[in-house]
Amino acid sequence: MTTESTESPASVPKAQAGRRGRLAEAPDIIITKGVSKWFGDFQALDDISLSVKEHEIVVILGPSGSGKSTFIRCLNRLEEHDAGRIVIDGIELNEDVRNMQTIRSEVGMVFQQFNLFPHLSVMRNITLGPQKVRRLPNQEANQLAMELLARVGIPEQADKYPAQLSGGQQQRVAIARALAMQPKIMLFDEPTSALDPEMIKEVLDVMRELAASGMTMLVVTHEMGFAREVADRLVFFDEGALIEQGTHEHFFENPREERTRLFLSQIL
Amino acid sequence: MAEMPFPQKRRIVLPPYRQRARRPRSVRAREWVRRNLFPSLGGTLLTLVSAGIGALLLFGILWFVFVDANWQVVTANRWLLFAGSFPHDQEWRLWTAIGVVFTLIGLAYGTWSGLGRKDHLFIALAGGFIVFLMAHGGAQIWSSIWFLAAILLLYVGYAVMVRMPREPGPTRRWQLRSVGALLALSLPIALVILMVGGGASARQLDGFILNLVLAPVGIVGGLVVAIPLALGRASSMRTISWTCTAYIEVVRGAPLLGWLFVALFILDDVIGGDLIVRTMVVLAIFTGAYMAESIRGGLQTIPRGQYEAAHAVGLNQFQAMQLIILPQALRISIPPMAGQAISIWKDTTLVTVILTLREFKGNADSAIAQVDFIDDRIEAYVFVALGFWIVAFMMSRVSQRMERAQGVGER
Repeated sequence: MTTESTESPASVPKAQAGRRGRLAEAPDIIITKGVSKWFGDFQALDDISLSVKEHEIVVILGPSGSGKSTFIRCLNRLEEHDAGRIVIDGIELNEDVRNMQTIRSEVGMVFQQFNLFPHLSVMRNITLGPQKVRRLPNQEANQLAMELLARVGIPEQADKYPAQLSGGQQQRVAIARALAMQPKIMLFDEPTSALDPEMIKEVLDVMRELAASGMTMLVVTHEMGFAREVADRLVFFDEGALIEQGTHEHFFENPREERTRLFLSQIL
Repeated sequence: MAEMPFPQKRRIVLPPYRQRARRPRSVRAREWVRRNLFPSLGGTLLTLVSAGIGALLLFGILWFVFVDANWQVVTANRWLLFAGSFPHDQEWRLWTAIGVVFTLIGLAYGTWSGLGRKDHLFIALAGGFIVFLMAHGGAQIWSSIWFLAAILLLYVGYAVMVRMPREPGPTRRWQLRSVGALLALSLPIALVILMVGGGASARQLDGFILNLVLAPVGIVGGLVVAIPLALGRASSMRTISWTCTAYIEVVRGAPLLGWLFVALFILDDVIGGDLIVRTMVVLAIFTGAYMAESIRGGLQTIPRGQYEAAHAVGLNQFQAMQLIILPQALRISIPPMAGQAISIWKDTTLVTVILTLREFKGNADSAIAQVDFIDDRIEAYVFVALGFWIVAFMMSRVSQRMERAQGVGER
């Protein structure tokens, strides 16, 4: 079926096996049950049930329009789900605005188009959330921002404005901005899709480091190399439904569903 | 959270660019002249024609100002034009107010930006013209001296602030805030100087002073009305957005003149108060409707991602508006709002129709109604036009400055 997938996936390394064992015992931090969403008459999400364990890294794949972005945008209520339940870190995401605010401050998000605040310096972009939401004193917020900028590798850009940075640098600032809220979960919505090829790597490097540090991550991406290397679990969406999920060995060697196979053959 | 130190990126150091010789100045000058003045046969013709028209106009103007015109109508009536029925024995209040406001303008300019060559030229020309008119009458050398002293104060304030360190930080923020607050308070301060403790009554604010009082109230009041209106119109709650839309459409649908009559006749029964206060309310309401539309235009240019990012970092609706959306939207709406500010500045002449309010242009009408000056209406109106132009030009310059100062971090 997959004409070009000649490379055979590496057998499961020991470290990874240990990680899987630990993950199996970890509690669920994201629980979704029967989530559905409509845009007008168009059903964007169809009865999605997906749970994510603490420290787990889940990569969501699927053709455009398959609802994968909509799904992770529902997780911090940038979109409202119409049916089903979403519980994040024990908090039900519902009409209660306080719940929503709590969840939003525990869930960081990185967007395809970076969405940095163009009128604020890089520093201020990062400190704004901690200062206004977490009520962190200026000094501490600034210190935190500098630490995070060092972590994403651009401490010297603190006083610049977003427009003065390259795409890759902007996306790294966006990651630092999300991390500044010290979230328990990070959502990535096609973080490298708007980047030039030479900048994709620097963003993926930051994400790899983040994964290694034990962050719970949900990543929508088309970067198969990244998915294969970092993901604990891959999930395939199509036409708003969750079609198939499993480890990368399962996915790349022996996908069960016809649609998954078709998609992988096109993308690999 | 940061268990693993992130490897520092090695920086690539490039050799500096080779310095290449610039083209000689004479070549560049010739190039500029050719490109901008004589690019082609048609272009050359246009240059010559416009130069001819310009020369004729300039000659005509100079001839009129220095030879033909009889500035007596202005010099003899300068008190009437500028201050109208403001009590003569309180003149010191006028000069004090002017001095304070000029100082504040100087402070603000020194803090926010520098005065350029154009600004100095403008101050020299406008100031020179005013001094010329005041000295022309000869009688009161003191007014010229006071006026020059006020300009001196402007430069002193400027010189002090422009030397302050400008590195961003708490000191700079404090500087910006205090000067901004002082400038915002300049009109109230001036009014206190003019009116409190035996000064003029509200009705004695007259002539050019009245325009200078009404326009800022209209502009600032308009802005205060406009921001909630714009947000309301963009609101997803239908009742709010319909109410705001109705307000905007109704207010914009009738001319300012009509609303001034509302102030004169209808508001009198509704809220009462002094006519000048009712006029201020109407000006703010009117300007607010126009400015709201400008701000709405600004709001619409803010991409949805900005709202989403603001919410994703945990800001609530109010914080997102206040910190992320409005600052960007207002910056975009500076040019159209400056247009409305200039427009309302000139529209203050309309209060003349409310006969008991006598502003600059209305007082010029009275000046040329005198038998002695019946033939000097052109001089009187030229002077009025110039007075309006000077302030309008300043407003336009300030808006350009604001735009540039806010331009950092443009997309």
